[in-house]
Amino acid sequence: MVRLAAITRVELVRLLRDRSNLFFVLVLPLLLVVLIGAQFGGSFDARIGVVGPDGDAAVDAVVADLDARDGIATVAYTDRELLLDEVERNLLSAGLVLPDDVSDTLAASEPVEVAFIAQPDAGSQSLRSVVEAALAEHAAIAGAVAAAASESQVPPEELGATAADLREGLPRVEVATVAVGGDELAQEFAGLGQFDLGASTQLVLFTFLTALTGSAALIQTRKLGVATRMASTPTSIASILGGQAAGRIAVALFQAGYIVVTTLLLFQVNWGAPTATAAVVLLFSIAAGAAGMLIGSIANNDAQAGGLGVGLGIGLAALGGSMVPIEFYPEGMRVIAAVTPHYWANQAMAEIIRRDGTIVDVLPQLGMLALFCVVLLALASWRLYRALIR
Amino acid sequence: MQADRSAERIGDGRGSDPSAAILICDGLRRAFGAIQAVDGIGFTISPGETYGLLGPNGAGKTTTISMIAGLLRPDDGEITVVGRRMTPNSTRAKAEVGLVPQDLAIYPDLSARENLVFFARLYGLDAARRRERCDEVLRVIGLAERADDRADTFSGGMKRRLNIGIGLLHEPRLLILDEPTVGVDPQSRNAILESVEHLATEGMAVLYTTHYMEEAERLCDRIAIVDEGRIVAEGTRPELVATIGSLDVVRLEVAGDTVRAKAALEAHDEVTSVDTDGTAIVCLLPGAARALPQLLAAVAATEATVTAVEVRVPDLEDVFLHHTGKALRD
Ligand SMILES: Nc1ncnc2c1ncn2[C@@H]1O[C@H](COP(=O)(O)OP(=O)(O)O)[C@@H](O)[C@H]1O
Ligand SMILES: [Mg+2]
Repeated sequence: MVRLAAITRVELVRLLRDRSNLFFVLVLPLLLVVLIGAQFGGSFDARIGVVGPDGDAAVDAVVADLDARDGIATVAYTDRELLLDEVERNLLSAGLVLPDDVSDTLAASEPVEVAFIAQPDAGSQSLRSVVEAALAEHAAIAGAVAAAASESQVPPEELGATAADLREGLPRVEVATVAVGGDELAQEFAGLGQFDLGASTQLVLFTFLTALTGSAALIQTRKLGVATRMASTPTSIASILGGQAAGRIAVALFQAGYIVVTTLLLFQVNWGAPTATAAVVLLFSIAAGAAGMLIGSIANNDAQAGGLGVGLGIGLAALGGSMVPIEFYPEGMRVIAAVTPHYWANQAMAEIIRRDGTIVDVLPQLGMLALFCVVLLALASWRLYRALIR
Repeated sequence: MQADRSAERIGDGRGSDPSAAILICDGLRRAFGAIQAVDGIGFTISPGETYGLLGPNGAGKTTTISMIAGLLRPDDGEITVVGRRMTPNSTRAKAEVGLVPQDLAIYPDLSARENLVFFARLYGLDAARRRERCDEVLRVIGLAERADDRADTFSGGMKRRLNIGIGLLHEPRLLILDEPTVGVDPQSRNAILESVEHLATEGMAVLYTTHYMEEAERLCDRIAIVDEGRIVAEGTRPELVATIGSLDVVRLEVAGDTVRAKAALEAHDEVTSVDTDGTAIVCLLPGAARALPQLLAAVAATEATVTAVEVRVPDLEDVFLHHTGKALRD
């Protein structure tokens, strides 16, 4: 046990001593979490930029109405050109331009021309219908108020207030959007904090990637003859294999733990139920460490291990839903994705974080991860044994 | 640590009989595919003895040593270290052996001391002894001043010394050194040879492999000459030279067609073996002084010219030439 610990320790010391690792292990994961967080812009709401006359009652009413709807947030713009530009660059989901005389025109019961700016895609179409519904409702109320005002002595302001009160009290027709891709997704990700999605998927990506690229250390150990030399000391082969496995797993756990702790402290990321997350992280780290040990036992040189490590690390992560969430995958791809441990870890983390899952809820995923651990550890031990004793 | 229950104990093990052999190996054989790297090697090393395996590259020295150190399974044969059978699983037998591999087996990104401490742990030294032994070894290998520098900042000679130091940590009964001076500058080389001599005087049994005749002559009490996986001759230096009988060595520097000159010398009745060493042709024959004019005439007849002649008593290179028909260094 002392010997096993000595081997584990030396492998960890060597990883941390390698300055070139530090950027990839310590800096890059956080950068990506921030980047992904920034891309989703704080929430998964569709952002609609609105240009309209300041302090106009009609504009305020429409904006308030849109904001009140699930999945939509408005942002006030003063400049139409800027609005156009940001929609074009996908920084906004859509733009709405209300003319300066919108209230007066409505009060006069005349048609109002409103510009809806969006990219020609399905999401924009559904946004457009929501916006149209909101506008139509307000136009109808404004029209009714104007008509009532012209036939009574009550001032239009009062009528407007009464109409607003009445509207509050009336049963409203809520249009729930059903199915059609995008909106189902919006629901899946609703309630996630800005950095929550990025943190868990990047944890999965980097834990595996670091374990694989860290396998270069094992190759050096092998190629330098240090591993063989260990076998010439009174250290059982089991301890050498165990020490190497523990070393690789420790590297993976270090990476995972670092991401959990830093994102918790810096971004207040929601990591869900601690026991459930810990179980997923532990099993995934063991699988990652074992995969690293396997590469370290098969590859013949650092370059090969680096190439294999980065290629597999990124490839499996992409396949397993760490770059694009699995929910965006077509059905066939999801089946293929299930051959990666990343898939099961990401599914488990989704259950834990998005649906407040407990350890019981993720038992199936944990079972699959355990299977990966057993198979990869057995393969890696066998290969390393063959490399040590011929 | 799991005890090695499978180890068969021969004799009483450590310390019961001071004259008992430290290492006995018998009938070792090992093939790699079609290559028979070791083909029936056996020898014995006594306490305090320095035993040399002298042979050219590819003779099977490292393969033999790997089997003795429990890193390679023999296809056939037995190895006993201090009364314990050596197998890849025999941690008890391994505790008696300090192996210094031919290729540097150190962590370049760790300091000298970190390398030593790590292996001291693997050799099972407790904390106090670990500190004591690491300091002692650092002093012996002359790296005390550089103890905390990374090994990759060391010169070739310093790395070699660290490589050797690791094998000394646990004061093994048997120290195995596999070509420890290859690629080392003359000064470091001398330092290494001196420390091996010193270790031998302290009673450590040493198994030393080399393809340098001078090293084997200087260090080893007994030498096995190895070629193509077999021991072709074994004994002390005088014993080995005596195996040639009363042969003399004639070395002819030749300009011109050395191939035909060699053939002409081989055809000579009294010459027992001929080999080329660069532009020189080396012959073994009895009574060189008497036969020399005939040899020169034979070469002259081939249109080659003899530019220098040397006649001397044989050394280990000549013994090797005699037994294998080829030069030790190629
Ligand atoms: N792992 C191996 N695989 C295949 N052939 C090997 C291996 N190790 C050694 N050999 C071959 O066995 C022979 C003896 O090699 P070795 O024991 O290293 O010789 P030496 O140490 O005397 O130079 C050589 O022909 C070498 O090519
Ligand atoms: Mg060798």
